[in-house]
Amino acid sequence: MKKTLAILSLIVLLFLLPLFAGKYILYMTIHIMLLSLFSLGFNLLFGYTGLLSFGQAGFYAAGAYGCAKILLAFPSLLVGIIGGVAVAGVASFLLGILCIRHTRIYFSMLTLSFGMMIFSLAWKWRDMTGGDDGLVGIPRAPLEIPGLIRLNMTSMENYYYVVLVFSLLAIFLFHRIVHSPMGLTFQGIRDSETRTACVGISVRNYRLISFTIAGMYAGLAGALLPPLESTVTPPVAHWSYSAEPVLATLLGGIYTFPGPIVGAFLFYVLKDIIVRFTQYWLICLGAIVLVLVLGFRGGVVSIFYGKGGQG
Amino acid sequence: MSERKKISRRAFLKAAAAVGIGGIASGLRGVAEAAPQKEKAPAKAKPKKKILGVDVIKIGGQGVTSGAHADYGWQMIAGSTLAIEEINAKGGILGSKLELKFMDEELKPAVAVKNTRYLATEWGAHFLFGVDSSGSSMAVGPVLPEIDRICMFTHASTHRLTEELVAAKGVKQIFRMSVPVYQESILSSLIFKDFPNIKRWAGIHCDYEYGYSTWALFKETLKKYRPDVEFVAIAWAPFWTMDFSSHIAAVMAANPDAIHATPWAGEGVMLLRQALMLGVFDKIQAWFQCMGGSVDILEGIANEVAAGKFKDKLWATARYIHNYPDTPQNKAFVANFRKRWNRLPNYSAENSYSAIYAFKAAVEKTRSLKTSDLIKALEGMEIMTPGGKRFFRPEDHQAVYNVPGGRVIKDPNYPIPIVGGDLKVIPAKDYYRHPPFTPIAMGK
Amino acid sequence: METLAFQGLVGLSVAMYLWLLAAGLTIVFGVLGVLNFAHGSLFMLGAYFAFTFYGLWGVNFWLAIALSLIGVGVVGYLMERLFLRHIYHLDHAFQLLLTFGFILIFDDAVKMIWGGVAKIPAMPGFFEGTLSAFGRPFPIYNLFIIGAGLLVAIVLWLLFEKTWWGKMVRASASDREMASAIGVNIPTIFTGVFVFGAMLGALGGALGTPVRVVAPGIGSAMIIQAFIITVIGGLGNLKGAFVGAVIVGVLSAYGILLFPVFELFLIFLIMAVVLMVKPQGLFGG
Repeated sequence: MKKTLAILSLIVLLFLLPLFAGKYILYMTIHIMLLSLFSLGFNLLFGYTGLLSFGQAGFYAAGAYGCAKILLAFPSLLVGIIGGVAVAGVASFLLGILCIRHTRIYFSMLTLSFGMMIFSLAWKWRDMTGGDDGLVGIPRAPLEIPGLIRLNMTSMENYYYVVLVFSLLAIFLFHRIVHSPMGLTFQGIRDSETRTACVGISVRNYRLISFTIAGMYAGLAGALLPPLESTVTPPVAHWSYSAEPVLATLLGGIYTFPGPIVGAFLFYVLKDIIVRFTQYWLICLGAIVLVLVLGFRGGVVSIFYGKGGQG
Repeated sequence: MSERKKISRRAFLKAAAAVGIGGIASGLRGVAEAAPQKEKAPAKAKPKKKILGVDVIKIGGQGVTSGAHADYGWQMIAGSTLAIEEINAKGGILGSKLELKFMDEELKPAVAVKNTRYLATEWGAHFLFGVDSSGSSMAVGPVLPEIDRICMFTHASTHRLTEELVAAKGVKQIFRMSVPVYQESILSSLIFKDFPNIKRWAGIHCDYEYGYSTWALFKETLKKYRPDVEFVAIAWAPFWTMDFSSHIAAVMAANPDAIHATPWAGEGVMLLRQALMLGVFDKIQAWFQCMGGSVDILEGIANEVAAGKFKDKLWATARYIHNYPDTPQNKAFVANFRKRWNRLPNYSAENSYSAIYAFKAAVEKTRSLKTSDLIKALEGMEIMTPGGKRFFRPEDHQAVYNVPGGRVIKDPNYPIPIVGGDLKVIPAKDYYRHPPFTPIAMGK
Repeated sequence: METLAFQGLVGLSVAMYLWLLAAGLTIVFGVLGVLNFAHGSLFMLGAYFAFTFYGLWGVNFWLAIALSLIGVGVVGYLMERLFLRHIYHLDHAFQLLLTFGFILIFDDAVKMIWGGVAKIPAMPGFFEGTLSAFGRPFPIYNLFIIGAGLLVAIVLWLLFEKTWWGKMVRASASDREMASAIGVNIPTIFTGVFVFGAMLGALGGALGTPVRVVAPGIGSAMIIQAFIITVIGGLGNLKGAFVGAVIVGVLSAYGILLFPVFELFLIFLIMAVVLMVKPQGLFGG
């Protein structure tokens, strides 16, 4: 009861945010939500299924470019977002087939190389992606369902609400996934591949499902980007961008549900604070990573409810 | 990995509380900041006796401050700071002092956009300037109408910024102080069309927008004057190329008479050095280093120039060179800059310095800080700057001014080489493109 | 034909920097089982130290190289002793994460100490000049680099095959418990190997200082290439690292000559293909 109340009050707070927060705060909150979705998907692979991917940005980019191309041709927000997620889903499914046959280091390096292939594709294929200039002039298209509603999106507040609703739905869906039998299977695979296989479960298939879902969450986060920024450029596919959900999740807590969300929030807030005092925020972030890996592998969330563990 | 955590109710509660408190905190921060949700003008103090209504005029800039190209950000800071100090010493603009905030664009368009939003909507900048990379400028441009601020671009050189975004799409908040790729492409064609023995050209170019547009425009222009010219080889070097030996070897295999090159800053120096090592300057007749007139490159190749290694074959230009024009204003600027920073100013310094003064002129003309007023003041403005007389043409908000090209030589008056031999000064209006702008085919 | 041969030679000199980079990474992975994400940063530090000694303080070129190796060796020692040592027993993922944290630290540290601008020292005089190769001038410096790379390859082979230290290291790599049981001091060996690997990486960086770009961020740019090479050659296999480096260096050079458009994509494609078809690499087993 108390938990539900706390979550509900948080949600109400988020809905009321535009009333007392400035435009830049809204802009940052949207980015935090995008990183949360990105990190949730990443953590499904890492925290729940035991696969460390350094190439999730490739699927983020697939979602972003997919949505952008659609909006440039057919300016309807829902079509763009859903289209972007679909593109990312297809990409992660196909690449997943190739990746999940390997584990651990090889898996990580394979995802790294695929992510970078998408990056170089985005950079070189000027006709399709605009090259290093990227796609520009992407409209913040209206949200319309023919015959039902048509909401103009030119104000940041309206778009904020769209992102908020999408995020809440996605988080709710994620909660259902990890608490379902499928979610338990993922964790079983993470803890002991052999035992899970012995029970008759196709480890590969479940890994592929996990990979695809993770890719779609990355794609959703990516698809919500173009209407916000009106531009999509290749760095969103770079491996250094893949590192963001990794860091956010590590910061928040790998083994928990809210970890990636908490981590995404902390990541932005920390950076914002540190940057006010010094331009050298990378070294601070690096130091935080060291502290976390050495002592707090369960992240910030674990600090709240007991030490994360030894590993 | 054998750790598994049950999500206890208390744990979840605590995590949610943390997020909630953080959310409230950031919301409250928004309230505490002097910029509420309806922002038409940036942070305004209570009305005082100041003519413009604010104590402090805020100027936000951005450029590259780390990596192989970091000197350009440094120069932007140096130039703009000098201008601001000079203006503040004389009482500011109409009584209000100037304050600068400069951020790192990291050569990433997404970061440039984020900086732009932060500077304008959060920090309260009245005026924006800077931006090194062409890709970043194309991303920042479309955001300006939404935040209602002018950005005076002082480096990014893609023609598309002014030709497409201003002239075609009407983004009036974009102004450019620095000469675009017309300089390295068209000026170099006009110089080399008069060398009948140079028929075979090869290019070593940046593998991004800047390189593509420069090479395409150079080829298109030179071909018009010299149909006999051939473009025999091209090598593309991406960001973070450390070693150009393969690129140089590849183009030299085609036996070119001359080479046209865009890699700039630290990469430019190493490119030239490796070219020297590969004996290139024994074989070719000329090498045109597009932004070779920039101070960091001149410093880097000083020893080699002094020893005559380039055999007088190295040509260059820039977006301003400190030895041109020979006016009292320019001499004073260079002297003051050297006194303040102990270095010679390069073009991003002069451009940023002039950007601040252009802003000052516009504000003094309209006695207002409103973007729409400033746009009207800047359009068609003629202003004397260290780099010469500049005219902001209304059709695309591009500043028109002359910058020469020439051979890189040693000069006793300066501690580093200069672009000074066979200096060719061609009136800008003779080589700047005009509307109607036909798109440049950027095939590889 | 001569064009191709010359381009291949140029590619070989570029490959040698990659070999020096990959060698250290491979040795550390082979013995400690740790894939050091921050190895490229050690390469970068080698370049910066060499710049400081040689370019700023005017120290003799060879001495500067030696000093930069020692400097980075110390950094490596601290990294291993204070940090890495505590996570050997953890999952590979955490080792990657920890070493990734070091990339962030080194990138900023370099900016803090040397500033963000690229460093350009003078060229050591005795390296200027060219030799004729396949009818075209080939820089003596590049020849020197090829020689250095080959020399390192021979020395490493002798070290690991023929010396007593090499045998201990190989024993520790193949069976940690057994080696410890017969009296090999594993922690000391591990520290030593990590320092050795760090110094190799630094050597690659230091040798490139007069002619290649030295700026913050080159470390992260290099590590990706190092990964590609070790994957192609086989993680933990030195012979594979050498061959992999030569393949990547020479193929890049041919790519620039023959397929200027596809080069970037090609390298990652090769890595992906090798990972999928023969994940142990060409020489791995």
